[in-house]
This record gives sequence, structure tokens and C-alpha cells, in this order.
Amino acid sequence: MNNPFEKIFNYQLSSRLEETGVYTLTSQERSWLKSMLEHPAALEALEPRTIAKLQECVLDEEMSNLLDGLEQKAGSLETQIVHPLLSPIRRIMRNRQGMTIQCRTKKGKLNDPQPGIPYKLEYSMVKREWYLHWYNSSTRSILHTRLCHILSVEQSRRSRTYYEEQMTRAQKLFEAPRHEAVVEVIRIFNAELTRILHAFSCFDKRVEYDEEERTYRIHLTFTDSEGQFVLTKLRFLGKRVRVVEGRYLKYRMRETARKALALYGVEAEEAAGTANNEETKIPG
Amino acid sequence: MAKESFDKEIQFLRLLALTGGGYDRQQFAGRLGISVHTFDKTVRKLREISGDADFADLFRYGYADSAEPVLLFLYRAKSMKESESRRLPLILTALKGTPQTAAELLDACCERLPLDAAMPDEKTVRSDLRYLEEIGVVRREPGGRPYRYVLNNDLTECLSQKELVDLYEFVDIMANTQIPSVQGYLLRDNLKKALKSTVPEHEWDDGLLEPFSYKYHYDARILDEAHLYTLLRTIHLRKRISFQYFSPKNRKSYSAKETNPLFGRETEVRRETTLPLKVVYDHQYGRWYLIGAAAKGRFVKFRMEGMIDIAEDQEAPEEYFALKKQQLNERMRYSWLIDTGDTVTVRAKFYRPRGQADFIAERVRLQGQWGEIVEENEEFFIYEIQVNGVTEIRPWLRGFGSSCEVLAPADLRQSFIDEWKEIGDYYE
Repeated sequence: MNNPFEKIFNYQLSSRLEETGVYTLTSQERSWLKSMLEHPAALEALEPRTIAKLQECVLDEEMSNLLDGLEQKAGSLETQIVHPLLSPIRRIMRNRQGMTIQCRTKKGKLNDPQPGIPYKLEYSMVKREWYLHWYNSSTRSILHTRLCHILSVEQSRRSRTYYEEQMTRAQKLFEAPRHEAVVEVIRIFNAELTRILHAFSCFDKRVEYDEEERTYRIHLTFTDSEGQFVLTKLRFLGKRVRVVEGRYLKYRMRETARKALALYGVEAEEAAGTANNEETKIPG
Repeated sequence: MAKESFDKEIQFLRLLALTGGGYDRQQFAGRLGISVHTFDKTVRKLREISGDADFADLFRYGYADSAEPVLLFLYRAKSMKESESRRLPLILTALKGTPQTAAELLDACCERLPLDAAMPDEKTVRSDLRYLEEIGVVRREPGGRPYRYVLNNDLTECLSQKELVDLYEFVDIMANTQIPSVQGYLLRDNLKKALKSTVPEHEWDDGLLEPFSYKYHYDARILDEAHLYTLLRTIHLRKRISFQYFSPKNRKSYSAKETNPLFGRETEVRRETTLPLKVVYDHQYGRWYLIGAAAKGRFVKFRMEGMIDIAEDQEAPEEYFALKKQQLNERMRYSWLIDTGDTVTVRAKFYRPRGQADFIAERVRLQGQWGEIVEENEEFFIYEIQVNGVTEIRPWLRGFGSSCEVLAPADLRQSFIDEWKEIGDYYE
């Protein structure tokens, strides 16, 4: 039976084992793997030969049909879990090499091949898609490209010194400045606190409770690219929360409300112009 | 001995993960319904397990896009006698590679245990072996008595180094993007060790271990996997259950057991009973629900994080379970999440962005579940969906800001107008 609280996972035991280089594998880990091997993503991530070997090893595990009792809701369409470019890009990263990369723009225009250094492969749980963060050596800028927009990536041999130098530059650029904002839970919605905190739980945050005013304030820290998703979450929560610090977020929320009301023909004379699409893309 | 429960730890870790450690001790203890003393004890225990000096820092800066699950250490909390934690590594090390009998293992233990340690007897070693065999860690070799045992690591040993890297990366991806995840994360940790053992130390590169990162993850989701298998099992066996339920709207999320006179004040908690039918994971908030049939057949919904002290009850007749399950499936066909109320048709107009790729349409296609685009032109498209009640879809529509105009039903449209006015007023 799958009991995730098993003695064998005990921290003292596993740290003692680690010293000896011995590790253990339990039935529950194998049966988890067995169910994952049935997922179509396995075929894309692993060689057929590897799958065959693994299947042999998990053969005896009783594939529990326990998971039949589990249903997932309100998830994004799972368009991509494993992308064919992951493996070649990982290889270049492991070898600490440069690459020549050719991409398409968002609108479909084809760019010339560019020299660069792969920095990070990242999966967005929101967009359900892979992104490559990379440094463009010729324009000396950093880019976030969806793997589905990459036409080709090839390793280009670079000296270790060159690589390290480029990587240091990239790292500096990737250390994005972080913004701070404070979001207050409107007191009459305090009962919904956990729901609200769950909505912000994918961000870097700290919650403060003001005993006197019985008010919760959420201190958020985020990068530019995360800012759009913070906004989406704020709109998602609607009147339950209010930005109390953070000029840009306040401004955007005011604009959203104004433009949204214009859509409904409310206070249209104040909200000049037609419905204007002010929302920009949610980040990866 | 009473079964070890981690309810207190789970509640605390959830609170910590959700608040980023922002409360002081008093506030934490108050919300958990325990004394500051018990709170400190809990923290000490968890700190020891996590091996982290500054515990709250785990939930601070930079954790958000990591592939390393911060809360996994909870599952390493099962307690163990000191003698056991010394003996088992010796047994497991001896079982690596060469099959051994219980008597041989006993010798190995006695040889390597420090002189002042309590020496095990053969009965103890046999019971260790029984346990290890039961959880699939060791295997009995074919042949008669005395039985020989060996470590069952075929899974990793049959792979080449390249294949092991591929498997590690596959498990990393699946544990992070699929549910359930806990076993995947545990496997990932073991594969990490397997990988380390195949690479000579001077060639080792930590870059192998964090191949990918994952953005916008709900960390706390893995805490609920603690009860997941208990519940899935009862569904599988058609067993009714009883449990203590703390509604999330209640400020206190945990109350110490009455048996402890020190914390006898919180006694108002009722025990609920239900026949579990389905567990639902909500991707929108990263939360788990249990849906069951109450005594008179009515459907009841519980947030899994509020359920503690779950006990199995009587079995329900198969026909009854099947009937309720089928009814529930029908009722949930149009649930955006879990609403089983009346079905309404929601129509909304989405405005396409000007002069850039149409990420609005893309987002609607990705997240709009079974809704359809019924009309479109270059400027906008109209999305229509049949859904149980408007409560659960409302936040999603609102998330689009001024790119979405609700057309129907009329009362939803009016409530959007009212709400945007109210929000506008916040920023005047």
C-alpha cells in the first residue's frame, strides 16, 4: 500500500545511508514510475529500449487502480510535457558549450541563426509550456524563447574561458531587478484568507497580520516578467484584495477597472476611446 | 502504540508555506490552536528533519522557481529508534551486490556496530528483512532455506549512465508537472544518488541535478498527498469514513486532541462521516477536495486540508456506491471545479490584442475547459460554456481584465459591472 510516511524514508536513515553510497528503491516508487511510463510523454523522453528495460523492472508492481478515484479540474490543456529539443539543449548545457540557434518570432517571422549560450530550461505551470532562457552573444542581450518557436539548435565549440565569460555576463543580466508590492485583504473577506493565500502561493511572499486592525497584508516580491501574472491574479481575486503599495500595479488596476467599465458602457464619457486592450501577455 | 500522525506538522507547514513565515510564534500557535510551547516543539522537530538552520528562509526568496520541493522533508519525518537507524544502514550496505542470509547479516551488524551499542538478535534481523521485503527494498533470492536476500535496485542497475540521466530528467519532469508527486520526488532523490555513484567524483557536476526549473508551482499541494492514499483506498474499498473537519473558514486549522488536558479548550470540533466517492485536485488554486455521499445520499464536499484523524468505517454496498458515483459524474459534468448546482450558459466576448500575437485566444483555448468559440472576427471572439453555477468560473473570467466582457447571464454581467466599479473605487 502506498504510505508516503514510510520508515525507510526517515531522514536519519537516509543521511546515514548517503555516507555509504547505498540507496534504496521501494515498491511505491516503482509503481509511481509504472503509471508515469504509461503517459505518452514517456515515449518522447526515453528511448524505447530504456522503456522496455524499466517496464521489465516494474512488471511485478501491482499497478494500483487507486488513481481512478482522482480527478483533476480547471487545469490548462496539457499541450506539452516533454519537448524534443529538451534533450539536445540539455546536452549543450552539460557540455558547457555555446550554440547556434534559429528562432521564429511570436508573429511567425523567421530570424537569422544567432550565436548564444543556453542558460536555463524552464517549464511554466500556467502556460504548460517549455521556455529556453538564453544569452545572445551578438546582441549581448537575454531572451526567453518558447521551445516551439525554436527551429534548430546546434552546439558550437567554445573554449571554457569564453563560455565562463559569456555565462558571467548572462548571469548578471538574468538577475532581474525585483519589485515589491503590498496587497491588503479587504477585511470582510478575511474568512476567505486561505483561498486568497493559495492564489498567491506561487509567488515569493510574506504575510503580515495587523492585530489591531484585523487586517492581513501580503508583501509580494516579483520580477518584471512575473508582474503580469501578479496582475492576472489580482484581477482573478477581484474586490477581495487591494494593492496598497506598488505604484505600477495600482495604476494598472485602475486602468483595468476603467476600461472594463467602458466595455459595459458605464461612465463611457470618462473612459475615452473604445475598449482598448491593455492587457499584455502573461509571462511564461 | 498510537499511530504516528503528522496532522500538526502538516497544518503548520501549510501555514508557513502560505504565509512565507510572516507570523510570529504567538500568531502561529494561535492559528494552529496549540500552545506556544507545543509550537516550539513542532518547529524544533521539523528543523531537525529539514536540516535547515533558518527554517522560514526555506519559503523565502528564490524558492518559487526551483525544482527542489521544499516541503518534501515532511515525508522523512516518520520516527525511528536510534538503534534501528544504525542497524538498517549496515544491513542494507551488506545486501548490496551479494545475497546474504539473516545469520550472515547478524554477523555483519555485530561486527560493525560500536561496542557500546545494543546488539541485535537474529529475530530482530529477520523482522527487519520482513519489513524491507514488504516495502520492496530487498528481494528474496530463489532457493530454499536459509533464505538469501539482496538489495532490489534492478531499476537503476540495468541502465547505462546515459539512460540513467534520461530517467532522472524524465522523473524530474513528471514529479513536477503531474500529480501525485510525492513518490516521484522520493524516487528523484534516489536516482540522484544512483547517478552520483556512476560518475567519478572528480568528474561530478552539480549541474546534473537541477536540469530544469518550474515556474508558478503550488508547493503546498504535496502536503495533501499525506492523506491522499488513505482516501483513495477507502474509495477503492467502498468504505465509509469518519474524520474531524476544520472548515477553512474557521480561523483555527488544527486543534490538539482532548486527551491532552493542556489543550482541552478546543473541543467544538464535530466528527463528520461520509462515503468517499472522488478526490478532486483543483489546478486553479492548487487545492484538493473530497466529494462524498452523506447519510441521506446528498453530495458533500470537503477541503482535504481541513480533514484530520480519518478513520475507516463500514463498507457500503457496491450497487449503492456505483449509483452514487454515476450520479456524481453526471452532476459534475459541467462543474468548472466541483459545483454541482444548476447548469447555466455563460457567454463572454473576448477582445483580441492589437498589433501582437493573439495570446488572449491562446489562453482561452488553454484554460477554457470544454467551452467553445461560437463566433469570431478580427477584433473579438465569443466564448460560450455550459457550467454549473457562475461562482467558480467568475474569477477566471475576471482574470482577463478589460479583455473580457460578460454577455450572459444578465446577473453575472451586472455583477461584473458592480465589481469593477468597486475595484475602481479602491484606486481613486
